[in-house]
Amino acid sequence: MSNNGYLQIHDPLKPKGHVVGIDLGTTHSLVASVTQGKPRCVPVDEGDSLLLPSVVHYGKDGGVVVGARARKLAAEAPTDTIVSVKRFMGRSPDDPETRKLGHYAFAPGANVVRFDVAGGQPVTPIEVSGEILRALKRRAEAHFSGKVEQAVITVPAYFDDAQRQATRDAGKLAGLEVLRLLNEPTAAALAYGLDKGSQGMFAVYDLGGGTFDISILKLEDGVFEVKSTGGDSALGGDDFDRAIAQHVLQKLGVESPTPARIAEVMVAARRAKEALTDAAEVTLSVEGHSQPLSRADFEAWIQPLVAKTGAVCRRALKDAGVAAGELDGVILVGGSTRVPAVRRFVAELFGREPLGDIDPDQVVALGAAVQASLLTDTDRQDEVLLLDVIPLSLGLETMGGITEKLIPRNSTIPTAAAQVFTTFKDGQTGLDVHVVQGERELVQDNRSLARFTLSGIPSMAAGMARVEVRFQVDADGILSVTAKEQTTGAAQAITVKPSHGLTEEEIEKMLLDSIDFAEDDIQARQLREQQVDAERVLAEADRQLRENATLLEAGEREAIQAAMARVREAAAGKDYLAVKEALHALDEASRGFIERVMNRAITQVVSGHSVEEY
Amino acid sequence: MRTHFDVFGLPRSHAVDVPALEKQYRELSLQLHPDRVAPGNAKERLAAVEGTTALNEAFKTLKDPVRRAFYLLKLHGVDLDREDAGAQKDMPLAFLEEVMELREALDDAMAAKDLPRAQGMAKDVAVRKAAALQEAVAALGALEGAGDSPDGVRKASHALGRVRYFTRFLEQVDAFEEEVLA
Repeated sequence: MSNNGYLQIHDPLKPKGHVVGIDLGTTHSLVASVTQGKPRCVPVDEGDSLLLPSVVHYGKDGGVVVGARARKLAAEAPTDTIVSVKRFMGRSPDDPETRKLGHYAFAPGANVVRFDVAGGQPVTPIEVSGEILRALKRRAEAHFSGKVEQAVITVPAYFDDAQRQATRDAGKLAGLEVLRLLNEPTAAALAYGLDKGSQGMFAVYDLGGGTFDISILKLEDGVFEVKSTGGDSALGGDDFDRAIAQHVLQKLGVESPTPARIAEVMVAARRAKEALTDAAEVTLSVEGHSQPLSRADFEAWIQPLVAKTGAVCRRALKDAGVAAGELDGVILVGGSTRVPAVRRFVAELFGREPLGDIDPDQVVALGAAVQASLLTDTDRQDEVLLLDVIPLSLGLETMGGITEKLIPRNSTIPTAAAQVFTTFKDGQTGLDVHVVQGERELVQDNRSLARFTLSGIPSMAAGMARVEVRFQVDADGILSVTAKEQTTGAAQAITVKPSHGLTEEEIEKMLLDSIDFAEDDIQARQLREQQVDAERVLAEADRQLRENATLLEAGEREAIQAAMARVREAAAGKDYLAVKEALHALDEASRGFIERVMNRAITQVVSGHSVEEY
Repeated sequence: MRTHFDVFGLPRSHAVDVPALEKQYRELSLQLHPDRVAPGNAKERLAAVEGTTALNEAFKTLKDPVRRAFYLLKLHGVDLDREDAGAQKDMPLAFLEEVMELREALDDAMAAKDLPRAQGMAKDVAVRKAAALQEAVAALGALEGAGDSPDGVRKASHALGRVRYFTRFLEQVDAFEEEVLA
């Protein structure tokens, strides 16, 4: 968040290339583009698969593997292989949801989750998602034999500001201009709506791998209006797998399974679940143990999860002011809607057979491609317009930790609200503001989005200064804040500190670090790592030569300085192996000297203390 | 100042044809929305965001009869949405008694987890709310005809104060209902 807003500014001179729609999913991701007037998904993984498993593996050599190959590595290197990263987006490490998500090693500190993975620095969910997006971009580029630089990326309608912000940052890291963050259900409706030219009121029931979304939309006069939306950002097909895995582990009598074991059982559980779509009973084999699993058992286990979606649907219908019977259609989205029990539940809930003739895995990406084309192709500009809503209420903390709602949920975006603050002490020049998102009364039950300080308020008597703070939500559902002192008209400085997620500076740094535009990313990454190492080692060597000159033997200084010069020279080049070798040579040349430095340091420490301390 | 009515070119009145308003909203959205602005034109895009924001706010206010009534009252200088609004403290005694009575009855029903009783009360309160709104609309209509009179403004403000309370009451029953069903 910043005080200058988040409007996309397009550079008309930039070559456009292909514009794509991307479904950045919890379990898999897809990329689609409109060609010859029709949206089509692009093959992105082994065997020309349209689905790229959203799995990223970090190797010990610093290499990054994305997709089916990464998924195969999950069992042997579970903590270095990140699955379902979407669930971590915009979440902090101490979020209760984060802790439930499993077997990863988290690096300490910061207000963002950092996975401790092999091959270098800990990575944030934004970077992991960035790797997925980059893989999609590369593979789409290979498919089109041309550049892909602009994309519409979909997010669950229920994503809050921090999660949206994180998704957009991931796009930036992958070198994509994010034209729009589009709500997934809206994308699905767009895919259906344009194909069929339909008018009326629709519900989109979207049960994916990790998230559930429901949206009620109205299509009329070429305007797609989202009436209401609701969902659960931590409920999906993965939970079905988990339910199976839990029961299986219980039956096997495993009390505290290892991460590798959990990963293996989860894979078997997913296969069993998929097979149960057509079969009434399947056999599940884990570590040589075979277990029968009936569809009836499976349905009983997932029943509470499926029922949870019903309550959310009823609330969305109520918010939209329609009865289930008034709908003109129900659209199914997400692989988990293939589960027969889910289909039955939806049919019963809405009193009609749902539509499912577009592949539920592809429909979101196809809709995103349609929107990307609508936003960039001037010939299509008057076809259809999309009016989306903000999914969760935005509010401020007031006295006593109470939330005061500023913008209610389901407000059509772009939207804005203003609030006037006043000072409560004479001569007060600053004010703290806490922005939260959610429906609950108490601030502590909602999600903290940001805290900021209004500073530079002209010094006046208490209650005299009137600072108007304006909250603007743009068409992506992302918030920006501006402030003005009303009596003097002076604009106020706002420093926004996101409660979750990364600051602008951190993102900028990552952008520089990631060197997206290099042809060979692994090479570039390794070079960058070696360069950072070289800088650090050279600075340290300089310091030691200065501080411990008395420990140098004859000719040693010259030898070390020559080795340092070679490191400097190599670090300025492009070959990371050369830097590595030069560093090694420097290490050799200075070994004797450094040993003497260390010995002296230890002697000094020991002699500084009395014997009793040891 | 440009009012929400001005955005739609409508006269300042509580009588709004909602289906026609919806149609006009869609037409104006098609004209104003930032997605309709050619990419690259940052200045025009910014203007489009502002225009659409104002349009959305006006539409939200005018399509709903209760919001519309509150807004008309605000144009007459009384903003009941402000927590510190003096008008809220100035409600007649009879109303305060009505509030206390309803409050206690709802608390009892909620404590007993008696959803049907709460729903029965909600039905009754919804009728009272509709009547209060009608009263407010009549008072606001008189104001538009005769201009601001302190008496007329107070009349509208009292009626809307009751609407506001009844709305909160109904929301509470809704929340209770959701809680019981979940």
